[in-house]
Amino acid sequence: MIPPGSSHEKGEDEAPVKAKRSKPEEAEGEGVVYHPVKLSRSDLYRPPSADELNQLKEAESLFHCSLLKMQMEELLKEVALSERRKGQVDSFIQTVTRLLQTVPDSPEVEVSDLSWLSSAVKVPFLLVPKTTKGKFHMAPPASIDLVGSYPLGTCIKPRITVDLAVTIPADVLHPKDVLNQRYPRKRALYLAGLAQHLASSSDIGTMRYSCLHGNRLRPVLLLTPPCKDSSSFTLRVHACPPPGFFKPSRFHPQRNNIRTDWYTGSQTPLSELSYHIQSLFLNDSFADGVALLKVWLRQRELDQGTGGFNGFLASMLLTYLLITHRISNTMTAYQLLRNSLNFLASTDLTVNGISLARDPDSTPSLADFHNAFQVVFVDPSGHLNMCADMTACTYKQLQAEASLSMQFWDDPTVDGFHGLLMTPKPMIRTSDHVFQLCELVKLQSSCKKLNLLSELMDHSGNYVHTALPFILSLLQRGLGERIHLLTHSLSPEPEWSVESDAPKHKAQPPLSFGLLLNPELATSVLERGPSADSPKAAEFRQLWGSRSELRRFQDSAITEAVLWEGKSMCQKQLVPKQIITHLLQLHADIPESSVRYVGHVFDMYHAPQEPSTGEEESLLVVQSYDDLSRKLWRLEDLPLSITAVQGAHPALRYTQVFPPRPLKMDYSFFDRDKPSRSLVPKEGKPCPAYITPITVICHMEGSGKWPHDRLAIRHIRAAFHIRLGELLKKHHNYTCRPGPTHLDVWKDGLVFRIQVAYHREPQVLRESVTAEGLQVVRDNEEAQALEMATIHKPLLTSTLHGLQQQHPCFGAACRLAKRWLGAQLFSDDITEDTADLLVASVFLQPAPFTPPGSPQVGFLRFLHLLSSFDWRNNPLVVNLNNQLTAADYTEIKNDFMASRESLPVMFIATPKEKKLSIWTKKAPSVQILQRVVMLAAESLKVLEQQLMDGGQIQDVRVVMRPPLDAYDVLIHLNVKQVPLLSQAVDPPTVTFGRGVMAGSVTQAGGALPVIDYNPVALYLAELRESFGDLALFFCDPYGGTVIAVLWKPKAFIPTPFKTSQMTARSVEVTGEQVNAIPNVEAILEDFRIMGQGLVKSVEARTEKWSF
Amino acid sequence: MAPSKKKHASNQPCVIPGGFTVLSLQFGSDSVAQHQLYVKEHKVRAEKCSHRPLDRTLFVLNIPPYCPEGVVKDLFSQFGSVQLVELRDHPGSFQESGPKLSRFFKPAAKQGFKVGYIVFHNSSSIKAAKSHPHDVPLVVSTEQRPVRTGVQKWIQAYTESFIQPDKLQQIVDSFMEDYDKRKEEEAEKQKEEAEQQQEDEEGWVKVTRGPKGTKARPHSEAANKKALQKEIRKKKRKELLNFYTWQHRNTQKEHIAELRKKFEEDKQRIALLRAQRKFKPY
Repeated sequence: MIPPGSSHEKGEDEAPVKAKRSKPEEAEGEGVVYHPVKLSRSDLYRPPSADELNQLKEAESLFHCSLLKMQMEELLKEVALSERRKGQVDSFIQTVTRLLQTVPDSPEVEVSDLSWLSSAVKVPFLLVPKTTKGKFHMAPPASIDLVGSYPLGTCIKPRITVDLAVTIPADVLHPKDVLNQRYPRKRALYLAGLAQHLASSSDIGTMRYSCLHGNRLRPVLLLTPPCKDSSSFTLRVHACPPPGFFKPSRFHPQRNNIRTDWYTGSQTPLSELSYHIQSLFLNDSFADGVALLKVWLRQRELDQGTGGFNGFLASMLLTYLLITHRISNTMTAYQLLRNSLNFLASTDLTVNGISLARDPDSTPSLADFHNAFQVVFVDPSGHLNMCADMTACTYKQLQAEASLSMQFWDDPTVDGFHGLLMTPKPMIRTSDHVFQLCELVKLQSSCKKLNLLSELMDHSGNYVHTALPFILSLLQRGLGERIHLLTHSLSPEPEWSVESDAPKHKAQPPLSFGLLLNPELATSVLERGPSADSPKAAEFRQLWGSRSELRRFQDSAITEAVLWEGKSMCQKQLVPKQIITHLLQLHADIPESSVRYVGHVFDMYHAPQEPSTGEEESLLVVQSYDDLSRKLWRLEDLPLSITAVQGAHPALRYTQVFPPRPLKMDYSFFDRDKPSRSLVPKEGKPCPAYITPITVICHMEGSGKWPHDRLAIRHIRAAFHIRLGELLKKHHNYTCRPGPTHLDVWKDGLVFRIQVAYHREPQVLRESVTAEGLQVVRDNEEAQALEMATIHKPLLTSTLHGLQQQHPCFGAACRLAKRWLGAQLFSDDITEDTADLLVASVFLQPAPFTPPGSPQVGFLRFLHLLSSFDWRNNPLVVNLNNQLTAADYTEIKNDFMASRESLPVMFIATPKEKKLSIWTKKAPSVQILQRVVMLAAESLKVLEQQLMDGGQIQDVRVVMRPPLDAYDVLIHLNVKQVPLLSQAVDPPTVTFGRGVMAGSVTQAGGALPVIDYNPVALYLAELRESFGDLALFFCDPYGGTVIAVLWKPKAFIPTPFKTSQMTARSVEVTGEQVNAIPNVEAILEDFRIMGQGLVKSVEARTEKWSF
Repeated sequence: MAPSKKKHASNQPCVIPGGFTVLSLQFGSDSVAQHQLYVKEHKVRAEKCSHRPLDRTLFVLNIPPYCPEGVVKDLFSQFGSVQLVELRDHPGSFQESGPKLSRFFKPAAKQGFKVGYIVFHNSSSIKAAKSHPHDVPLVVSTEQRPVRTGVQKWIQAYTESFIQPDKLQQIVDSFMEDYDKRKEEEAEKQKEEAEQQQEDEEGWVKVTRGPKGTKARPHSEAANKKALQKEIRKKKRKELLNFYTWQHRNTQKEHIAELRKKFEEDKQRIALLRAQRKFKPY
C-alpha cells in the first residue's frame, strides 16, 4: 500500500537530521512548514512609521483573543457559497421559474383518474385507497417564490439546496380537501404534473422525488442543473396551497383524528416564515451565526434526515432568541453560536416547549402540543409544531451535545474551535455501544404488538417512524441508569427518480442506535427491582416478563430482580445487549436475529473459543505483584533498606496485549541445568512457551556506603540481587536466579524480574573527568536509558494504573491499539509506552467526545487521533493526573514551535517531561509516521464501514492484516520455533506442545522455567545489529511468522571504498576507482545462516538492488 | 565481485587499488554466496602500544557476525600460527580497558560485521594471507569445526547466561576488594602529595609541577560555571542601563524589532494554517 515514492524515502537515515527530515515532507505536496521567521537586520531596525507602531501594538494585545474570531471567519469563508456558484444558482432558478410559468392547463378530471399523466412520470404518493372524491386539473402556478436558506444567505456548502415554493392555484383545490388526505394527494398530482412538463425541457439535468423530512405525505421535486454541475446543487420544488386557503384551526393538534392529517398544511407557513425572518436577518452576523450553527449540527449528524434539527430549525431558533431578547442585533457570529448553544443546553423543549406565535390565545396551547408531540417548538402561526418529527432522544442528544460543547469552550486547555466545529462525530465513534435494527419490516409487527394503529395512521403508514418513539422509551426504561444517553440515527430522506415508484418503508437503511454508557453501572449483572409486595412490582414484572424473579438478598430484602449472564468481564460488557434483545423480543416482537449489536470488537484478536477482555488475567498479575511487593518491603537483614518498589511493566498497568498467564511447566519437555535449578530449551523440540519477565524496580536507600563509580555500583547491585534472592528463598521458598543486572523470581506461575536501582546512578554515569582533570557532567545515552528504566517507566506505570481505575476500559482500549500496531508491524517504532500515552490522551482529552466507555470506541478514536492529528505543527499534550495548567499548555506549545526542527517527529508532552518527548525520541521516523498515519486512516475507514454496514460480512480482522507488497524481502519463519504463534491474527491450525501442563500452578518452589527466550526477538535483534544500516526489519511481535525487510535506498548507492563503511559490501573496480555496494546474495545467505532452525525460507521479492 | 574475477586469472590474489587484498569467505562448503574480506598489513603512523606489532599484524575488514574470535583464529591459522585476534566494531587504535571485568559484567558486545586485527607469530604469514588466491574461499563452518548459529546458538547463549550465586558473589567480592584497594591507594597518593606540599621542619615548601587535578579537591565544571556567573553578575551590577542617550535609543529600537518579529511570526502562523486548509470542516 505504500506509494512507490514513500517506500523509497523510508529507507532514509532515521537519525533526526534537519535537512533530511524536511525534504520528504515537502515532497508530499504540503510544502508549508513552520520555520522561525528570519528578518534581515535592515528590516528589523528600519525606522517605524506612526501607523506601523499602532498596528504592532494592536496586534500584540489582540492576537490571542482574536485568534478564535479569525478561525471562525476562515471557516465561514470555507463554507460560504462563492459568487460564481451563486450566479449559476440564480440563472438556474430563472430557467426553472420560466418553465414552470408555462405549465399548460389541462381538462378537469376525477382525482383518481391518472390518464392525463404520461407513463414516464409517476405520482410521488401511495394512492391507497384508490378511489377518492374530488376533481383535479393542472394549471400554471399562482406564484413561484424563493424561500428557505438561500435567499437569506445562510446556505452553506456542501449539499446546497435551494427551496422554491410553487403555489398551487386556488381553483385546483377545494376547501374540503383537508379531509381524508385529499389535499396531499392533489399536491402530489400537481408535482407530478410539473415534473411531466419539466421533463420535456433540456435545461433540467436530473429529476427526482423526495419527501420533506421523510414524511411521505409531503413530496417534493428535486431538480439539478444539466451537465457537469449536476451534483453541485439541488433545487427543491415545494408545492403549497395559496395563503389563507385552509383555516388554521383545522390543524389543532387535538383534532388530530382520522378525518384529517393535521400537518399536511405545514407548507403554508414555511413561505410566510421566510418573509418573516428575512427582515430579522438583515444583519450580516446573523447569517454567519446560522451558518456556524449549521456546521456545528452537521458535524454531529443532527441536521440531516427525518426528525433532525435542520438548518431551518436553526434559523428559527435564532429568531426565537432574538424575539425573546436573549440575543441582540449587535452580537457577533461567535456570540450568537455561544448563546444558542447555551439556550439549547439549558432548555428542555420536551417539557417546556417554546412558541413563536404572537397571539397565544387564538391558537392551541403549548400543553396541547406537549400532549401530541415529544418536542415542541411552535411556529409563528401558532398551529404548527416545527419539531413534530423529533424524538425526545434526539433532543436529549442535542442538549447533551450543546452542554458538552459549552464545557469544552470554557476549558482553556482545549482547542474549542477544533472540537466544536472541525471534528466530525459519527455515531460509531461517539457512542460506546451501537446496535442496529436490520430488518425494518419487523417493525410492522411491533406496531401491531404495541397497539399503535392510530399513530400509524398519523404517519400515513410509515411504521418505522411510528414505532421508533415507543421503542426508544422502552429501551430507555429498560437500560435506565446504565446509560447516560440513548441516541438513534436519523433516517435519511428517501430520493427516487420520477420514473419509478416511491421506495417502500423497509427499503431505508437500518436504524442505528447508540448508547453512551455509564461505566460504573453498565456492566452490573443484577437489575434489582422493587420489593415483592410494593405496587411497583407489577410494573417491573410487566417490563421484564419472565426474566423477572423473586430473589432474597443479603440484607434480607425479598425483591423482584433480573439476573443477566456475566461470568467474565467479556460477557459483562454485553449485558446491555442482553437487555436490549430481551426487551425488543418481549415487547416489540423484534427477533434477536434482526438486532445487530456492534460493541464487541475487543475480542477481535482473541481466539474465538476463549473470548476475553484480558482484564481478569491482568488483575491476577497485579495481585501477585502486590503480594511480592509486600513481601519485599517486609524483608529484613538487608544492608540498606528498600525505599520504593515500583512496577515497570505494561502488565502492571493493565495494558499488556496478552497479559502473562500463570503457567505450569512440563519438566520432561526441557533439558535441565542442575546447579541453577533452571530449565533449558531442548534442541530439536519446538520452542517452549514464552514467559514474559514482569519488571519490578526496587529502589534502595541512598547512603554513603554506595561507591561513586559506575562499575562498582554495578557490582554492588549484583550483590543486592544475590542477597534479595537468598532472603526470598529462605522466607518464602521462591526459586530465584540472581544475575548481574536483575533477579528473576518464579512465583505463582509468573516470573518477576527485580532490578535494584540506586537513585544517584544516572548522575554518576553522567560525570566524567577530562584529561585536564576537570570534572564535567555530560548527558549520555547510558544515563538516559537508565533513567528511563528506573524513573520514567515506573512513574508512567503507576500513573496509567490510576487512569485504569478511573476508566475501566482504558486497558482494553490500549490492548486493542497495541495489537493493531503490532499486526501492522509498527511495534518497534511506536513503542508500548508511546501507544499507551496515545490512548491515554484519548481518554484524558476526549473533546469533542466524552471519555470512551467501551474498548471499541476507544480504539476507533485512537485510530482517529493517529490519522488526523497534525503531528508536524502541534505537540500532543497528555495531561496525566490533570497536572498541567493552561499556562503550561502555552509554554509547551511555544517551546515546541521554537525548536520544531530538532524535536522528534511525533512529539508527546507529559506533566513530568514537557520539552523533550523522551518516549518518541528514537522512533518513529518521518517515513514510518507517514505510513502509520496512512494505515490508521485506512483501517479506521474500513472498520467503521464494516461496523455500520450490516450487509457486509463482518471480518474486523481485516484491519489487522498488514499489506506486505511494499517490502523487498520476506523471511518466512518456521512456526515450530515461534513461541507466540497462538497469538497470531490468524492462528494456524497446527499447534505445538510448548512444555506447558494443565492444572493448578504452584505458588512457590519448583525449577525456574525458560524465561524471556524468544528466538524471533533474538533473531530480529541480531539482524538489526548486523544489517541495520542497510535495511529495516519489521515483524509482528505477537505471533508473526514473517519478517519483512525493506532495503534502505541510500545504502545501495555505490560509494567509494572506505575502511569504516565496508559492512557486507563487495567492491567493483573500474580503473583506479573502487566502489562498494552491498553484497545482496551474501546478505540473503546470511539471513538464512543467522536464523538457522528458525528461518523457513527467504523470499526476495524485488530486484531493486540490481541498478 | 564479478569484475574482479574477470580481471584476474584463477589462483591469483585479487588486489584492489588501495592495497587491500580481497579474500572470499563462505559459511559452509555448500553455501552459494560469498562475502568478501579485505585484508592489508596493519600500517599506522604512530601506534603506541605494543599489542599490534606493525610487521606482524594483519588488518581485516568485513568479518561476518557468525565469526567470533576463535573462528577467525582458526580461519587464519592456515597462513601461519596466530598469536592474537582482536575484533572491533570500527577500526581504531587499541584501547586500554579499565579494571579487569568478568564476562558477566562486560557490556553486551554488539553483534554485527567487525573489523579485525590479527597478530601472527611470524611476519611471513602476512605475505601468505595477502597472496591467497581469490577464488579459493575460506570456509567458516566445516565438519571438524562446526560453527553454531541460529537456534542452537541462542540456546547455548541462554545456558551460558546462568551463573551460580556463590560464584557471582565471589566475583563481586573480588572486584570490590580490588576497588577498595585502588581507592585506598589513590587516597594514599593524595595524602602523600598533600604532605609534600606541607612545610618541612625548616619552613620550606616543595612546589612540583605535577599533573593537574592532583589537588585535594578536583575541579568540576559546575563549580567553574558558578564562579563565572558570579563574575558576570558582579559586572552587571556595575553597568549603567539607559544612562546615555544612545543606550536609551538602542533599547527602544530593540523593542520595536521584537514587536515586528512577533507580528511577522503571527502572520506566518495564520498563513500556515490557511495554507493547510485547516478550516475546511468536512
